[in-house]
Amino acid sequence: MYKKPAIFLLSILVPASLLFSIAGCSARGDELLPRKERLRVATTTSLYDTGLWGYLEPMFEEKYGVEVDVLYAGTGIALEYGKRGDVDVITVHSKLQEEAFVAEGYGLERVPFAYNYFLIVGPSNDPAGIKGMSPEDAFRTLQGAGSGAFVSRGDDSGTHGKEKAIWESAGFGYEDIRKAGDWYIEAGRGMGPTLLMASEKQAYTLSDMGTFLAYKGKIDLVPVAEKGSVLLNVYSVIACNPDKNPKVNREMADNMVNFLTSPEIQELLGKYGTRQYGMPLFIPCAGAEPSS
Amino acid sequence: MTELWQGLVRAVELIVALDPEVMEIAGRSLALAATSCGITSLICLPLGSVIHFNSFRGKRFVINLIQTFYSVPTVAIGLFVFVFLSRVGPLGELGLMFTPAAIVLGQILLVTPIILGLTISALSGVDKAVPETAISLGADRVQTAVLTIREARFAILTAVIMGFGRAISEVGLSLMVGGNIKGFTRTITTAISLETSKGDIELSMALGIILISLALVINIALNRLQQR
Amino acid sequence: MNLVETINLAQEYDGQPVLKDVNLKIDGGEAFALLGPTGAGKTTLLRLLDLLDVPSSGRVYFDGVDVTRSRPPRLEARRRMSFVQQKPIVFAMSVYDNVACGLRWRHERNEVIRQKVESALELVGMADCRSRNARTLSGGETQRVAIARALVTEPEALFLDEPTANLDPVSTSKVEEVLAQIMREKKMTVVMATHDMSQGQRLASRIGVLVNGEVLQTGSPGEIFCSPGSMEVAELVGIENILPGMVVEKEDNLVTVDVNGSAIQAISDHSVGELVYALIRPEDITLTLTQPISSARNVFGGKITRITAVGPLMRIEVDCGFPLLGVVTKWSAQELGLAAGKKVYASFKATAIHTLNRWG
Repeated sequence: MYKKPAIFLLSILVPASLLFSIAGCSARGDELLPRKERLRVATTTSLYDTGLWGYLEPMFEEKYGVEVDVLYAGTGIALEYGKRGDVDVITVHSKLQEEAFVAEGYGLERVPFAYNYFLIVGPSNDPAGIKGMSPEDAFRTLQGAGSGAFVSRGDDSGTHGKEKAIWESAGFGYEDIRKAGDWYIEAGRGMGPTLLMASEKQAYTLSDMGTFLAYKGKIDLVPVAEKGSVLLNVYSVIACNPDKNPKVNREMADNMVNFLTSPEIQELLGKYGTRQYGMPLFIPCAGAEPSS
Repeated sequence: MTELWQGLVRAVELIVALDPEVMEIAGRSLALAATSCGITSLICLPLGSVIHFNSFRGKRFVINLIQTFYSVPTVAIGLFVFVFLSRVGPLGELGLMFTPAAIVLGQILLVTPIILGLTISALSGVDKAVPETAISLGADRVQTAVLTIREARFAILTAVIMGFGRAISEVGLSLMVGGNIKGFTRTITTAISLETSKGDIELSMALGIILISLALVINIALNRLQQR
Repeated sequence: MNLVETINLAQEYDGQPVLKDVNLKIDGGEAFALLGPTGAGKTTLLRLLDLLDVPSSGRVYFDGVDVTRSRPPRLEARRRMSFVQQKPIVFAMSVYDNVACGLRWRHERNEVIRQKVESALELVGMADCRSRNARTLSGGETQRVAIARALVTEPEALFLDEPTANLDPVSTSKVEEVLAQIMREKKMTVVMATHDMSQGQRLASRIGVLVNGEVLQTGSPGEIFCSPGSMEVAELVGIENILPGMVVEKEDNLVTVDVNGSAIQAISDHSVGELVYALIRPEDITLTLTQPISSARNVFGGKITRITAVGPLMRIEVDCGFPLLGVVTKWSAQELGLAAGKKVYASFKATAIHTLNRWG
């Protein structure tokens, strides 16, 4: 038979790959165009790398009968997605940026739902000698030390924002730090990947407690500086404003906000990670801003 | 070397166990690439024929333009499609962002220059004597065109294979407009990207080996086709 | 009525004239050979006759209709013709499908196609190869398939461009057999280009000689062969003794031509004082070691200057006061002990000589 090659090819490939897809189909179904209701969540990387979303997602889907699409982003990108209306709800941890987001009308309300602490981690031999210092002192020492490298998130994430805040607090302009030297490395990646890079290079980095604990087995870094009010790390959930983007799934977004702040989930949040890592990765705070 | 070996072992384990998640993303990679290539072929075969068989002013320029886009970076296409499909973008109404359909759309854009350009090349490669013989045997223009396409069928098939290869192996596009959503828009390539950045090298290697094996199997099958 | 006719046909490539002022009339049912050396323009002319190309000037008629330029009559006429190229292209499909192409494009019914294709394949002796991939055929087989493919649409005119030029002798004779059979049985007009005079002689009833884009002579093979109209034609048909001279005596139609001091007697219409070429075919010259007793009017003694072997024959070049070329079989040459430097006698009849006008 001498059919056009393209048609011939199609007639083999399409059924073959459909067969594949059906064979490996997950219970949630596989479709090219979405038909089931979907909720799009852009999340900061630390909530993802800790496995929290993997834990909560099925619960939400079961409860509300929707498909949840979790997008692994950094706070910066997540906010951008939110402004463009490409997602319905965001979970991030950068207070100043979040407040601006709501003030500009892109988000309905900033609802904190969990918190933990940042910490500076680094190689066990502590080449810069900053163990036990306050975050600001530690940063000052690093800047002047000449030994010991620092890996920055470099991606406008919440963690990155916190890092910048500490530099400012320590009396440096952030742009100066960026040009300071080879010891300052901008990774441009999520929290987990950044930790891996720091471990690889045996450098210091700023991380949230949750991701650090979750990655402990894969990295060769130890906590170096843990005390300081500046290290408070608050996670909030914000539903995107349908006034800015009519296509936003307002109802389901509200459901997500309620879900995360509901007593049952709050309780689960408080226990998450205990079994695996020996201590909970998050502290629930049900809508109220925690004080440090 | 141990990582390589571990990856291989893990790959075999996953395949033998028919690990559902791996099967799912493998199937998705195949389905998306096949769909994009299928649609593109249906468009580009006739389009390529029309371009080849007609002379018009600027034909050389058009062909050069097509060839320029053979190796356009996938992230560039990804960005382009992202801006268009984003809710604030011109096609935002369709709500296609972060869906497999968005990936297919992007892959169609990615693969069109290759399939179109190589189809035109294939048709050009047919001996001039073929259409002449056909004409002297009484074929009209359409019949002559069909015959030329038939004569070029192996080379055209190669064009489709190349397009498929490019589609199934791209990452940048799938990441940007698909979002790498587990269970929905995650493909083998985006999964490799994620797992590597998360440090699970073994799983990444396994996925990589699976992807290469898939490509190999498909290529062998298509080569047998060409032998006929 | 003429099936194919051209009037003042001319063709140019890149500003260079390739065909000049071609006037041909070919009858229905005629077997016409276009004879000429490589580069004479045979292919160009055939392509114009088959309506593949458009001439730069002049007109082409098919069955009385002007088909020089206008598309619709050309398309219609082309469906009544077939063309077999010098190196025919077969399509990448089976032999059967190749032959069936033309019929399928004419939307014939499958049963009709099957019947016609089978009989065409039978005719060319390729019936056993019907399912073979046509690309795997040898040169001779390809040529025969191309002929079958051209015949199956039952054309009124069949054009062939040097059909055996690229074939070995065995394939050549097979193809010639097929062509001869077609010409016998099918009563179609066949126009065949060839550079081989003997092939033209074997197959055609009329020959047109094409040299440098011009038709120098048309006529029956006998006419061309024995009475070539010009030197170029003579060279083409293999007359290798072309002797310049002048008519010095005439009695009825027996003339004496002075060639370099020697007197050659020939039968000719030329008058005394005319400058002529005396043409003698090498085969018409008899070589002997002693003065022959024969009725030949022309006997000349000379010395062998060179001997070359060509296939089974020996070409003997003799100097008799003028150069003469004769041929003998290898066996004869051995028998006679012919060698360079040997003295021989060359004799030939007056009737074997053909005289041509010479200018200057």
